[in-house]
Amino acid sequence: MVEAAPETQAHYTEYAIEEFLVRDEPYYRPIGDEIELFTAAYRQHIPVLLKGPTGCGKTRFVEYMAWQLGRPLAVVKEDGDETESLKEGEIRVPLVTIACHEDLTASDLVGRYLLDANGTRWIDGPMTRAVKAGAILYLDEVVEARKDTTVLIHPLTDHRRILPIEKTGSIIEADDRFLLCVSYNPGYQSALKDLKHSTRQRFISIEFYYPPADIETEIIQRESGCSKEHADALAKLGEKIRNLEEHGLQEGASTRLLIYAGRLMSEGIPPRRAAQVAIVWTLTDDPELQRSLEEVASSIFE
Amino acid sequence: MTSGPISEIEAELAKLPPAVLEAYHQANDAVKESFGEEEIGLWAKEGLTIGTQTVRSWESAIEYYQVSPEVSKFLSFPSFMQWARCGTYLAQDSPTLAVSFFKSSVSIVPNLRPQYIPRWAGLGRSLYKGTWKSSTLAAKFFEVSPDLVRNLPFWDVEVFASLIEALSYKSYDVAGECLVLGRDVLPAMGREREPFLAMSRALIDTSWREVKTCLELVPRALQLVDESQTGRFLKLGERLAKVGLRDTSRFLSDGTQALSKVPQGSQGYILDLCDALVVLTPDAVPPFLRSLDDVLNRITVSQLDTWFQHGAKLLQDNPESGIAFFKIESNTSESMLETLSSSLELERVKGILRLYCRALAGTGLEIFDTGELVGRNIGWVDEDMASTDGTKVFLPPVVDHYPNKQDNFSWFKVVSTHQVAHLEFGSFDYEFEKPATQFEDLRHELEEKMLERKKAERAAAQAAYEMGAQQLASANEVDADMSAGFEDPNDMSSVRTFTDIGRYLEIFENARLGFDIFTVLEDCRLDYRIKVEYPGIKSASSRVQNETLEKRPRIEDMPLQQGLVELLIHMSLDQFQDLPVAKDYKEAAEMLSSILHQLRNSEANVEDTAEATLRAYEVISRVPNEQEEEEEFEEQDLEEPGDFSEEEYQSLVDQLQAGMEGSSDGGDGESYESPDPVDYRGDFKPEMVQLMTKLQADDGEEGEAQPMTQEMLEQLLQESPEMELDAEQGDVDSDMAQFAQNIMKEAGTPPPNSQPGEGYGPLLNDDESGGELEAREPETYVYDEWDFRANDYKPRWCIVKEKTVEEGDAAFYQESLKTYSSLANHIRRQFELIMPETMRKTYRLVDGEDIDLNAAIEAWADLKMGVPPDDKIYWHRNRNERQVAVVFLLDMSASTAEAIDEGRQTVDDRDAPDDPVEYMVWLRRRREGLVRRNYKRIIDLEKEGTTLLINALESIGDTYGIYGFSGYGRENVEFYVIKDIEENFSDKVKRRIDKITPLHATRMGAAIRHAATKLEKQQAKTKIMFLISDGRPQDRGYSREGVEKEYAVHDTHMALVEARRKDIIPFCLTVDKAGHDYLKSMCGDMGYEVLADIWSLPERLPMLYRQLTANNRA
Repeated sequence: MVEAAPETQAHYTEYAIEEFLVRDEPYYRPIGDEIELFTAAYRQHIPVLLKGPTGCGKTRFVEYMAWQLGRPLAVVKEDGDETESLKEGEIRVPLVTIACHEDLTASDLVGRYLLDANGTRWIDGPMTRAVKAGAILYLDEVVEARKDTTVLIHPLTDHRRILPIEKTGSIIEADDRFLLCVSYNPGYQSALKDLKHSTRQRFISIEFYYPPADIETEIIQRESGCSKEHADALAKLGEKIRNLEEHGLQEGASTRLLIYAGRLMSEGIPPRRAAQVAIVWTLTDDPELQRSLEEVASSIFE
Repeated sequence: MTSGPISEIEAELAKLPPAVLEAYHQANDAVKESFGEEEIGLWAKEGLTIGTQTVRSWESAIEYYQVSPEVSKFLSFPSFMQWARCGTYLAQDSPTLAVSFFKSSVSIVPNLRPQYIPRWAGLGRSLYKGTWKSSTLAAKFFEVSPDLVRNLPFWDVEVFASLIEALSYKSYDVAGECLVLGRDVLPAMGREREPFLAMSRALIDTSWREVKTCLELVPRALQLVDESQTGRFLKLGERLAKVGLRDTSRFLSDGTQALSKVPQGSQGYILDLCDALVVLTPDAVPPFLRSLDDVLNRITVSQLDTWFQHGAKLLQDNPESGIAFFKIESNTSESMLETLSSSLELERVKGILRLYCRALAGTGLEIFDTGELVGRNIGWVDEDMASTDGTKVFLPPVVDHYPNKQDNFSWFKVVSTHQVAHLEFGSFDYEFEKPATQFEDLRHELEEKMLERKKAERAAAQAAYEMGAQQLASANEVDADMSAGFEDPNDMSSVRTFTDIGRYLEIFENARLGFDIFTVLEDCRLDYRIKVEYPGIKSASSRVQNETLEKRPRIEDMPLQQGLVELLIHMSLDQFQDLPVAKDYKEAAEMLSSILHQLRNSEANVEDTAEATLRAYEVISRVPNEQEEEEEFEEQDLEEPGDFSEEEYQSLVDQLQAGMEGSSDGGDGESYESPDPVDYRGDFKPEMVQLMTKLQADDGEEGEAQPMTQEMLEQLLQESPEMELDAEQGDVDSDMAQFAQNIMKEAGTPPPNSQPGEGYGPLLNDDESGGELEAREPETYVYDEWDFRANDYKPRWCIVKEKTVEEGDAAFYQESLKTYSSLANHIRRQFELIMPETMRKTYRLVDGEDIDLNAAIEAWADLKMGVPPDDKIYWHRNRNERQVAVVFLLDMSASTAEAIDEGRQTVDDRDAPDDPVEYMVWLRRRREGLVRRNYKRIIDLEKEGTTLLINALESIGDTYGIYGFSGYGRENVEFYVIKDIEENFSDKVKRRIDKITPLHATRMGAAIRHAATKLEKQQAKTKIMFLISDGRPQDRGYSREGVEKEYAVHDTHMALVEARRKDIIPFCLTVDKAGHDYLKSMCGDMGYEVLADIWSLPERLPMLYRQLTANNRA
């Protein structure tokens, strides 16, 4: 394993991947019972599938859960021999996040042999390290990954909880604290990017959608530090723009985008302009659609 | 003819200058190959005849002999002699002419049919007038002939020659120059040659000097004009030339110049306009064309119409000023352009507004222009007023209130925001029983009162009736049971209670006053909400409000009652200060203001408006509608009237009541009249909207309540104040029945107006019950069908008959590609982008299929040197190879024959009227027709989409098949092959597309199963089935017990599931707007899309396909 202590330098902090802990409580505003569900699934070793459109808080939720589950009180460790003593506020559930992309192969996850001056050397991939360290492994946008990754996901997600490493000929049993969590955006309409049922049915699914207007206002205000009026208006804008899904827009404005707009506003950018650059131009390249969205924004913002 | 011995002829020839005999001898040998002994004699003799025609004709004879060998190769002997004799005649007139004739013959004869030779000679001859100049011209004609004849049909050569001849009367020099020019210019022309010659011919009489310039200009000029329009353009030139237009050449250059700048596809329209001008004042055409560029820089082609019509009218009255108008040298013209250029047409911003409204309302709203609504004839009559019927927003077609487009757009925005607000803030959601939030409930009490009042009235009426009846009965001894015809006075159920809003509005004794107040207050509530919710639009809407205020009539001039309503309007438009109020009614005005202020609250809803209206009505209706002296008015400030209190209200009403009873001396003053409508708020018809919605909803499910009959509807419309209001504007009463009929039509399903298309095969009609079927004929297949109630398959239940579509005309394919040329290119480009690199090895990767030897050796060398090696030592085969097989299933059911554009008639080109005024009207109509073309059927769009798709698919090489399906009954599911999946694309396929016709019903399940079977055999890794339909699956017996619609849906679903089990990805695209409900259950989690805008089908289809397969990888 790699050295444990994070190297701290003047301008940045570098962690080994499985050492990355969510230290400060991330802001997460629950909408339903998702926290209870996730906690229960974690205790029961049930992998979790988070469904929802982009920017609605899936990643933030996982971060929050990693923090929440890692708090001493919540830690499930019945074996007794606690050798390591936790410092105040320290967390024990690392979070390994992997953004999946089209070229992500199984060996990117598991690890590979590398050449160096002394011959070949095996390097664990992030998934292996997460399995060993007992982290929450979060595969973001899992449908994007290549199909061969399912070979790894399947044995990890059923009762076996093992990770076979073909190249080294070994099998790793997952740490007790390990949990696989994947996210998936069903909005993409590509027939070829669907999760197979054999994969889907290894997870419990928690559905996410953009929060209702009042909660979204709260989130925007909290996250961006803009005024209540602006947050209110942004939430309204988000709601209106989402009305256009299916009517030309592929996906509505995400909460994240609304927060970006709010942040620009709190820096003193005029609201209409902020909405334009953060939301309208980001969402579409179609001039007519842009114009329509701008008209909506200019109705809502003075 | 005597053919003397050769020697005799030779002797004769010897008498001529020796060169002749020499030429003869030289030709003799060559000619022998073509001619016989006797023929040679005739040939030689003809030469002699030529040579002896005139003193100098021996020169012609030499030429004759010299070209003979060459000419004889192409002509039979009789034709040859005919040719020779032509030369003889020419030599008779002028030996020079004959020489040129013979000279050009060598190159002419191969290209000219022999029977034309005399005519050709005659053309040259006709140019010769006996003078030296004319002979030069004629000779020149023969000189250029070969080029002309080679490239032009002979007919055109003749026309050209006659043109030159006509010109030669004016000037030989010019004629000669034109002759040469013509040789260079004419061959390059296509269809436009004929009209060009006709135009030139017309020029000769009026200004022949122009011909040459025209010839010089024409090649370059015509390049600027659409090929299809050149003919018309030249024809226009001809007409102008005929009426004596001077500078045609200038017209040619200016006109083409102007046309070249016109937006694509409108050249024909411009020429239409020119044609119209020629009829009126030909002189106006050139200035019109010259100004055109300028004008079109400022206004659009569709606006041009308005400008043009105005000019045309001027021309009729006074040609001078008309021409000045077209030269844009008149104020009218200038200011008109000014207005037009700043005005904004709905058509141009419709897309933006549609999305804007949809975003605000959150429903799939459509935008239409108000003409559409009025055209539907269901009670809306005002074309200038915006409105909404709950699912569509209607806006005026053009806005020109402001001098610039931006402001005009803001106006559109303010107006549509207001209309959408009706939906967003629930104007049409009124529920009688829902309690108000800002007021105590008063309506039940008042409804009671109203019912009692009515009861009393009826009782009185009945009493009167019965008295009459008694008198009658006693007189005539008729059956005394006549009163049975009179309704029971206790039965108070009115048709109006059909809708909640109707029930509410019925409370008012003066229905019109009540409804007017309701409208004002509701609009006031909405405008306030808009200002709160959409602060961004505040400035624009305040501006509109202020302008509206300026136009409102003075309250002082109105009778008191109307004045108070007007006061409400002023306040609803945000004017609270300096309001003139009659001294005696100061409290009333304050009360109204405080009622109105209750609604200026984000919590207020439509029920509050209703309660507020009840109170305002109680106040206003107790004020006499009398004129008051100007001095009696005082300016009041009603900004802060204080909170509304029910007690104060009650005491005010009592007080007013007392006042009213006290002064019941001379009637109630004038009868109440509605105020002028507030333009930007448009037409508000809540009762109509609720009515329509309810009728539509009832139509879907068999309502337990008694259905609305047309009579009831008529009665309802008659009583509704919404209709009464309009009765002033139009002659509505007489149309009430018509309205009712149209409304019923709107609400219900329209009667099927589509006949099943002509079938390809006979309709077999087996009994529905019955058992398994057997496929006996070739190309028939049997499939099971899913019975969802039995939860099992019905074995061997459907027979699918595979047939190939007949071949039609490939023109449809070409036409569609042409119509959508830019789109087709775009799609093709998009498709090419996804075109993958096939199976290419990528080297130097960290991971891959095998070791990359070169990299490995390098790495090894590095290792040996003790340098860290590069770890990229693998290669990988690029697996992006695209292997897609797709089957398209087109719905060919009868319903696809439905016209998308109902009621729009095609305008026939042929019946253009002669009268200029009528012509204008006709032209305008034609223009409108052009905007939307002719009506199209769903299937046409399906066909066009298929065409574009094929075009694109061919570019990326996916395997694909296209099939249509229809059928009638389970034993006759027709499966039409348009392009079989194994078949290569060919002209046959193009021709088959043309013949795709709406046929019978849709038994989707069986068709899907058959398509899946076909697809299953394909090797491709990705298999896709693309279903394009226009509605739910339907067929005779495609249901259990013939009623359950779900049966078909379930079977289709099962067929799709089966397909997916075969690793086929199904995707359904439907143009049925009501598709969401059943598609959800039909497709489950499989992909589907409901096309909101059917016109986008040709565009959407290939795009969807692209999306669907874009990320295909192994």
